Amino acid sequence: MNKLLRELQEAALQRETRRHFLHTCSTGLGAMALSSTLAGCGFFDKKEEKQALGATAPNEPMTPRPAQFSPKAKRVIYIHMAGSPSQLELFDYKPELMKYHGKDCPQALLEGKKFAFIRGVPKMLGPQGKFAQHGQSGAWISDYLPHLQTVADELTFIKSMHTDQFNHAPAQLLMHTGNARLGRPSIGSWVTYGLGSENDNLPGFIVLASGGKQPDAGKSVWGSGFLPTVYQGVQCRTDGDPVLYVSDPKGMNRDIRKQTIDAINDINRQQYEEVKDPEILTRISQYEMAFKMQMSVPDAMDIKSEPEYILNAYGVDPNKGSFARNCLLARRLVERGVRFVQLFDWGWDTHGTSKDGSIETGLRDKCNESDQAVTALLKDLKQRGLLDETLVVWGGEFGRTPMQENRDGQTLPFMGRDHHLDAFTVWMAGGGVKRGFSYGETDDIGYYATKDKVHVHDLQATILHLLGFDHTKLTYQFQGRPFRLTDVAGKVVKPVLA
Amino acid sequence: MKPQLLMAGGLAVVVALTLSSFLGVFEDKVDFNTQIKPLLNKNCIACHGGVKKASNFSLLFKHEALAPAKSGKPAIVPGDADASEFIRRLTLTDHEERMPLEAPPLKPEEIELLRKWIDQGAEWGDHWAYQPVEKPDVPQIGTFWSRLGLAENDELKWAKNEIDHFILDKLKAENLKPSPEADKATLIRRVSLDLTGLPPTEKEVADFVADQSPDAYAKVVDRLLASPAYGERWTGMWLDLARYADTKGYERDPGRSIWRYRDWLIKAFNEDKPFDQFTVEQLAGDLLPNPTDDQLVATGFHRNTMTNDEGGTQDEEFRVAAVIDRVNTTWDVWQGTTFSCVQCHSHPYDPFVHEEYYKYLAFFNNTRDEDVTTETPTLRFYKKEDSLKVQELNSWLKTHLKQPRQLQQVMQFVRITEPKINSHDFDEYVNASLLDAKFFGMQDAGSGRIKSVDLTGKNRLIMQWGTKAKNAVLTLHQDSPTGPVLLTIPTPANGRDTTMIFALPTVSGRHHLYWTLSSPETPKDWVQIRWVSFQPALPGQPAHELGEMDLKLAQILNARPEVTPIMFEGTGDLARKTHVFERGNWLVQGKEVKPDVPKSLPPMAKDLPKNRLGLARWMVSREQPLTARVAVNRFWEQLFGTGIVETVEDVGTQGIPPTHRELLDWLSVEFMETDHWSVKKLLKRMVMSATYRQRSDVSPELLAKDPFNKLMARGPRVRLAAEQVRDQALSVTGLLSNKLYGPSVMPPQPDGIWQSPYSGESWKLSEGEDRYRRALYTYWKRTAPYPSMITFDSPSREFCQLRRLRTNTPLQALVTLNDPVYVEAAQRLAETMKLRGKTPEQQIQSGFRMIMLRDLAPKKLAVLAKLYRNTQTYYQQHPDEAKKLLACEEATPQLAALTVTANTMLNLDEVITKE
Repeated sequence: MNKLLRELQEAALQRETRRHFLHTCSTGLGAMALSSTLAGCGFFDKKEEKQALGATAPNEPMTPRPAQFSPKAKRVIYIHMAGSPSQLELFDYKPELMKYHGKDCPQALLEGKKFAFIRGVPKMLGPQGKFAQHGQSGAWISDYLPHLQTVADELTFIKSMHTDQFNHAPAQLLMHTGNARLGRPSIGSWVTYGLGSENDNLPGFIVLASGGKQPDAGKSVWGSGFLPTVYQGVQCRTDGDPVLYVSDPKGMNRDIRKQTIDAINDINRQQYEEVKDPEILTRISQYEMAFKMQMSVPDAMDIKSEPEYILNAYGVDPNKGSFARNCLLARRLVERGVRFVQLFDWGWDTHGTSKDGSIETGLRDKCNESDQAVTALLKDLKQRGLLDETLVVWGGEFGRTPMQENRDGQTLPFMGRDHHLDAFTVWMAGGGVKRGFSYGETDDIGYYATKDKVHVHDLQATILHLLGFDHTKLTYQFQGRPFRLTDVAGKVVKPVLA
Repeated sequence: MKPQLLMAGGLAVVVALTLSSFLGVFEDKVDFNTQIKPLLNKNCIACHGGVKKASNFSLLFKHEALAPAKSGKPAIVPGDADASEFIRRLTLTDHEERMPLEAPPLKPEEIELLRKWIDQGAEWGDHWAYQPVEKPDVPQIGTFWSRLGLAENDELKWAKNEIDHFILDKLKAENLKPSPEADKATLIRRVSLDLTGLPPTEKEVADFVADQSPDAYAKVVDRLLASPAYGERWTGMWLDLARYADTKGYERDPGRSIWRYRDWLIKAFNEDKPFDQFTVEQLAGDLLPNPTDDQLVATGFHRNTMTNDEGGTQDEEFRVAAVIDRVNTTWDVWQGTTFSCVQCHSHPYDPFVHEEYYKYLAFFNNTRDEDVTTETPTLRFYKKEDSLKVQELNSWLKTHLKQPRQLQQVMQFVRITEPKINSHDFDEYVNASLLDAKFFGMQDAGSGRIKSVDLTGKNRLIMQWGTKAKNAVLTLHQDSPTGPVLLTIPTPANGRDTTMIFALPTVSGRHHLYWTLSSPETPKDWVQIRWVSFQPALPGQPAHELGEMDLKLAQILNARPEVTPIMFEGTGDLARKTHVFERGNWLVQGKEVKPDVPKSLPPMAKDLPKNRLGLARWMVSREQPLTARVAVNRFWEQLFGTGIVETVEDVGTQGIPPTHRELLDWLSVEFMETDHWSVKKLLKRMVMSATYRQRSDVSPELLAKDPFNKLMARGPRVRLAAEQVRDQALSVTGLLSNKLYGPSVMPPQPDGIWQSPYSGESWKLSEGEDRYRRALYTYWKRTAPYPSMITFDSPSREFCQLRRLRTNTPLQALVTLNDPVYVEAAQRLAETMKLRGKTPEQQIQSGFRMIMLRDLAPKKLAVLAKLYRNTQTYYQQHPDEAKKLLACEEATPQLAALTVTANTMLNLDEVITKE
């Protein structure tokens, strides 16, 4: 076996040589991150390139590697409330808006604007939450989120978010891939491409979805785009195998599976002796990792081992898939060194067309389902000393209008708000951001972000910065040019950094 | 100027020229492409190139580099490095002034090279791929005597065709020797997988091994090229390029029926449609004279772009996105050049300027598809009784029409429903709205305008519309909402989308037309119009009221035929103007442009029309430098694992240079001239070469010298593609269906993969042999593709992907170990193994032969036999587990153990690798 290991190292060196070859012929770096013949190329700025990727063994694209500079956060839990919660009910308190409640929207606000569903002249809709300030920081959080109020001093709010897309799928894509069209790598893919994984036995980028549906943009929001597929998010499912095909077939136990993997690898070693293709060595290690994943994935996903008080704190029924369960799983996964955990919760699209999709009932239900768990997650991470190194991000893909939606010009049966580009709130906590802080402002009715505006690309640049990357330098050569998450934009929001 | 001085000056020039050419004998000529261009690209062009032109200085084109810069003087003075600011700036010590800015200085030897290049005249070279394809000489091999047949020579004995001459030539330079031919079993497996995507049968192997005739291998190749599976295999490759999918993409990602295009591809490959024709039909089949159904279906290539049905999105935005995708894809697929850069700015490295992108886009900007939910224009395939009606109409028209032109127009409307105006183009809404699915709707007292319609000779309005409004009246006015009434229509009883024909009074000239609606009974209910079309009346029908044939036509138009999306060119009012989009933003339109090809490529021949058809013909003209090279390179990559230009997607200056440029050019010329674009002949040439037939194992020395087999001193050894992994497992276990063509199928897939919002569509497990079809028929949903395909590096087909990067991951292992598709294959294999041997060793050996078509080495056999025995013991002790594994009551420990062994074999490296 020693001999094989040595040969593996030699093979690694040879690929390294190729990397230099590719580099010198100015096509960008060879993707030595990968074992196979790749020519889509890692493309780091020259200075950082060595430390960032030099340590990567070619057969182990997930080998942990240092960031470009010292990171504040090592891991991310990104909680995406798909459909987009109303900032006006939760965080962005606008008493002024109440004065206009039920009045026609002034023409000035409508001119030149395009909405997803609002037609004609809608009425204004006052905030439906009861707001109060909480914690020493005095953060405004409404009664929709009573639990979150108790951790107000852990949070940094960005209330001046804005985006370019007012439909779910493109807006979600923009939020997660930096581009509104399909085909770009997601932020989790970029991060695992840049940093590798700290755990050999689990995927580096894991996705957990709840709310009964996938996000509108489908799997592309955790896809790897043009990055090698090894960096795509692996969705852990609530029903059936947590990771596709991780369970052995019925009637085959662990011991037999072990014997089969041993036999496969034994024969593959013999094959290697004959044909000397280094790819075989990679395959041997991948089969070993697959075997380990078969143990570690179900183990990580099994929350029955959690004590009663933890289950209660999150409000989890261990036998049922739920957002709360996913929060607990997120903690278990970051605890095990998973680099990027992405939570999607579907059902926040409150237009007012139905009770479930209304501000007064649906939004409250969604808050009730999630508030306790999100809060428990923050407390749990903190209590375990993980919060300092784990960045938690919470938000939707866009905001909601201060106007009551009047779909197709009709009065809707429930209170609801349409999609809105120009103002929304996200919050962050942990890994390298200020505690008890609020950044950015919107106007008196929450229609436009007015002060310290933060674009989606700025948020992405900030997340990458916290992980130790200059967002302009985490790039990948594709179709003749270097691509990056933030496209050609993005500025780090320095004031939110701790 | 005085004559004497002129003389003296002339003399000086002569002396200088003589001197420099005299000195030149001792000095190597610097090559722009290989020595200078890479330096410029790496260090200069980011600021002085297509994107930025700092100080008004660019190194992209010669005329730019030699033009005066901001200072007023040119930075490069050909022939005089000392006078060139360009060189001076590289050598300064002041950080503010020295180039490249904020980066390490160039190395002295690099500056020396640039200096020499300028002194030699600063000659610009075109990048090799943009130069015309000329046929190079085939290198000679062997010795003089051996070529005369007077002496034995290893090289001559090894080489089979010209490809091998080129390969040997390079190997000799590197002091390497080629590998001998692979054994017959390995070779036939390799060539079968390559040409048909399937492994050979045991009989095919036995026949080949037994056939001692000199053309035994050639016979195998011919058989494979003639097999229907050949078309399926190459269609599989092309589907990635065509970004083929069975759904439309974006949020709702609903289904799309475009499988006829896939059928067209299979047929085209199988009948070896020449690649030039193959190209023309896909890009412009609709513009061919009297296009056949097949030629129309072929244009589905560019209807595989995504469309967005999501409410509130603007059709024009996504129409433009689709057109841009067509431009980029055409360049990616046929030209191996990233044109998408030029969408926003001039190309940073390759010789294309911003405006040229939009000139090229103008070729594609005229088609009638406009991101509508019905995906029109589509070709309608009428079902039985409806198609009889169509025939009837056709023959009636033939006897009653004086002009064949109107026959064609009516039949075109029947088959393609064009020309028509989509209702999203209406404007001046009052009490009206662009409704969710993006068509025009009006409520009581509403109105809307149809812009500028030429009504001359148009006595018929054909309209698709629907409503739930009761007793409402729709009115069409001329010139204003209160203008003369052309038509008054009570709302139809049938609320859903119905196509109706109305007679219009005779009006001549162009008019704005206005709809108004009176709907007092149900004022909030919408009247929805999808499209309208103004047409002449059918012959013999009364001008101002409907006749019998109008009703027949309406019946036909209301049939629900199967449809497939096609390209269809808009003319007259429906033709579009194309403008430059400033910085790629479709909302900021710059100057108008006319269709043309970029200047750095040969111009279009004079007789070619300036439309898609002309463009397609230009692309496959002999002078075009890219099309043949890119195609040859792609086919080479498919067989050899790596292209002659490794970056199949980019043969431009940013791509990796070719390993064997002369070979690529030689093959390209043969492909165009000798083989008349026959893909089968091209592939045959490649697989007949000794280079292709080499053994694929590698000595440590060779691996050290050429780890990536760029020199081809050994055969290809690469993991099978996603489709092949699946098809092989089904094929060797006898499960695979060989049914050709048809709609996509849904083989077993885990529950819960499809969870699209707002879509009731679900994965409906196919029945019978459709569960075991080849992978290329698997239903492809863009937002949730078939999981095991994605795991093995299939792209999601949102955009064209030119090359699949091969990865090697644990998730792949989990697929072949545990995916029920592979477990079922193992069960089937075990059943056959049991019948084929008495001892476990015999059974295992027979199983391995079924998969790999050769014997298993004794040491490997021993490993599997041990596994078998251990497993069998376990299942003897746990008979219930055996039943579970085999999902059957009669399960025996032996069969269970064989299943485990078969599952193991299907995971061996050699099994999932083309050796």
